[in-house]
Amino acid sequence: MKTKKELKKEIIIQAALELFSKKGFYTTTIPDIAKSLKMSVGNMYNYFKSKDILAKEILKHISHYLGEELKNINEKDITTKEKTKQIVTVYFQTANLKPEMIDYFLRVFLSNREVFKEGCEGMICVNDFVTEIMIYFEDGVKNGELRDQDFFSAFGLFMGYLGGMVFLKGEDILPNGLDTYIDDISNNIYKALKV
Amino acid sequence: MKLLWLNLLSCNGNVHSFLNYPHIEKFLEDFSFIYHPILETSYSLQDIVSQNIDCDILLLDGTLEDGHTKADVDIKTIIEKYGIKAKKIITVGTCASFGGIFLNDEDTKYGLHFRQKLEHNRYKKLKNKTINISGCPIHPEILVNTLYSIKKEYELKLDQYLRPKEFYATTVHNGCTRNEYFEYKIDNHKFGNLEGCMFYDHGCQAPYTNGSCNKILWNEVNSKTRVGHPCMGCTEPTFPKNNLFETKTNMGIPQYLPLGVPKRAYLSLAGVAKAFKIERFEKKLMDN
Amino acid sequence: MIELIEKIEGEAKLNFSFKNKKIDFVDIEFASSRHIENILKGKNPLDALVINPRICGICGHAHLIATVQALENCYENIEISQKAKIVRELTLNFEIIQNHFKWIYLTLFPLLGFKQNIKGATYPSQLMSKAIATVGGQYPHNSYAIVGGIVSEISSTDLIKMENYLDEVIKFYQDTVINANVDDFLVCENIEKILSATGDLPKILNTLKNQKIAKEGKSFDRFISFGDNSYFKSGRGVKTKINHNINVKYVNEHPNQNSYAKNVKFKNYYYEVGALSRAMINKTPLIKDSHRRYQDSIFSRILARICEIPQLLIHSKKIISQIDLQEPSYIKPTIDISNIKGTGVGIVEAARGSLIHKVSINENTIKDYQIITPTQWNLSNGNKDDLGISQKAMVGLEDTQLAQIVFKSFDVCSVCTTH
Repeated sequence: MKTKKELKKEIIIQAALELFSKKGFYTTTIPDIAKSLKMSVGNMYNYFKSKDILAKEILKHISHYLGEELKNINEKDITTKEKTKQIVTVYFQTANLKPEMIDYFLRVFLSNREVFKEGCEGMICVNDFVTEIMIYFEDGVKNGELRDQDFFSAFGLFMGYLGGMVFLKGEDILPNGLDTYIDDISNNIYKALKV
Repeated sequence: MKLLWLNLLSCNGNVHSFLNYPHIEKFLEDFSFIYHPILETSYSLQDIVSQNIDCDILLLDGTLEDGHTKADVDIKTIIEKYGIKAKKIITVGTCASFGGIFLNDEDTKYGLHFRQKLEHNRYKKLKNKTINISGCPIHPEILVNTLYSIKKEYELKLDQYLRPKEFYATTVHNGCTRNEYFEYKIDNHKFGNLEGCMFYDHGCQAPYTNGSCNKILWNEVNSKTRVGHPCMGCTEPTFPKNNLFETKTNMGIPQYLPLGVPKRAYLSLAGVAKAFKIERFEKKLMDN
Repeated sequence: MIELIEKIEGEAKLNFSFKNKKIDFVDIEFASSRHIENILKGKNPLDALVINPRICGICGHAHLIATVQALENCYENIEISQKAKIVRELTLNFEIIQNHFKWIYLTLFPLLGFKQNIKGATYPSQLMSKAIATVGGQYPHNSYAIVGGIVSEISSTDLIKMENYLDEVIKFYQDTVINANVDDFLVCENIEKILSATGDLPKILNTLKNQKIAKEGKSFDRFISFGDNSYFKSGRGVKTKINHNINVKYVNEHPNQNSYAKNVKFKNYYYEVGALSRAMINKTPLIKDSHRRYQDSIFSRILARICEIPQLLIHSKKIISQIDLQEPSYIKPTIDISNIKGTGVGIVEAARGSLIHKVSINENTIKDYQIITPTQWNLSNGNKDDLGISQKAMVGLEDTQLAQIVFKSFDVCSVCTTH
């Protein structure tokens, strides 16, 4: 059960994500976010002491959200092939329902690394998400469906591919909705990784 | 107390490890052997198998095999005869406990009550008085202290493999001098070096092997992992596994994780630790 | 008449046939085997380093060194540092010394009517075990020697510790085995001096003379030794005529009808291995003096073994000082063993004699493994017109008790013999 403070934080994060997406990360200020929620700036600082801290918390929040979705898939008693499709599906669904979330990851996190240098070393702020991907890979190798290989080679293939598709969607280059690509993309990923 | 030490299919490693007990002369004052594979005893093997000699504790050493005989008598007969009259039975070593290194593919070789992880009932009547002291070889202190515990009637809590929890509840990893490399997930071990943890690449099973090797040192001075030799999991029913000098990974993740640690916990910790580069652990300890 | 011989790292059966009240023939039978050579087939090559020490609990370390040498011999080119080689030789010596002490005080003493001396056996053995554990982690059963060197990094403190252990054992030898300075003892060339000294060694030898059995247990006076290192030289000899030119390719094993132990010959002859052989081939003066009077009887055999202790103690101290700590302990082979296809032989001198390992590997698997242990040489079970070494030594005796003494003078290791 989330506390009132935690629920409020989530509301703030959602508002911040929408503003970052619409106006851009650097132009959006804490007062902007406070105003959109009809909160005082002083009150804002009770929840997030600075914009940089907010930026890192948002990353952990997204990672946790996606991590939970992936954990549900990982715990299902289905084949790795089926899991692959479900992971792609969840990723694209999130991109559709909460475009600001994926957008944040691609445009804010990846493009403004200096913001996250301290406190988000390595992959610690996306730990929840990466852990689930590791488990998906490990189970796949263990049950003989996926080829044993270096983690990063496989990770780059999977995430690079998904990120690339979402990027194209964001640039309005894809003629159709992301859902229409789920089958082909899942197959491509599975075929590339399988034994 | 009268002890009968009977060797089955054994290498005698447990006997010689036992002879390394530092206070062996005192031990021999407190216990007497009615038979022992190397120490002088008043009874010969012939006497043991043909007569019914008083025996308080039966020690079995080595893998059991169907049809194996000692002095021309089937071991089943000998084990049952003395097993029933003894107060306690101790399986000395992994071979007698679980079958160990001499197991073959057929079901004709086994430990007294277990064949690797599977329990069997060939000597069911003796199970509730058996204590398994596994190890390849046994650590002499563990055997001797167990014997003294029996003599002084101290209660010994046993684990699901009948091993005394006092010695087998901890992992071999407890007390390893290379622990810092494990704690911070530094996976740069190379053989011949003082530094590094063998868990990541070189097959060390210490984090998931039950034992006291780094708590009660070997020969009072050292342990395998301290010198840079991976733990081979010799106290476990699965000993020996295959490819003992390599760590099996599935896409970089060790197949066997530290005892009782859930996968997500381990991976999250590993993820955090690996995000930071700690200079001290990357350098050689004896830098110029 | 069948006698069960016990406490020889297992058991054996001697089936004596008599003619005119004298032993006419002895059939030697070992009743069980663990089939290690089969267990090894199909395993990963490096796993042999873990399995083979478990062939034997008292000379498992010799098996380790022979295994690693056999695996390394499968390479055309492999570099092992001098430091690693010396350390391996040291730990091997420590094990041999431990064996000799245990044999004197646990096996020999009761044979001659004395009670076992537990301290005499365990005190020096525990020190030597500690010396092995200093670099090997534990004793018994470690696999610290791996393809490419050793796993442990050695410090100057480790050298100091090993030297101190050696010094303590030297002192014990001087106090207990022979009350003389070990350096003087090593250059002694006259057994009369030994017989008139005090200590357990003179006590044992004088007991043999008093019981009038010193001359018994002579065999063919044929000696062989294959393990070369900085102390032992390989070679073979008949009486005192020694030839250093031998090749292991002339060694042949033959199965035995009633026994799990295989017979072994060199160029179709049975040979003795062990401390006496090594001493004859090295031309150790004191043993040559004993041989002059007693040939290859139990007197010479026992003396040779007990003399090897200080030889190895002093020699070990010498090679410790030759270790260059700057050298690496381990040099990663340029080709991983999983990519090696080949056959290799590893030979070491174990306490009881030459130990030969031969391995064939391909595709990261052991295809074949052959082990010939020293006791197989000494206890080869030949037939009446082609007697094995220990059989020849027992034939002609009147008393099976004496035959047991002769038999055990070869220091039998039942578990090794049947492996």
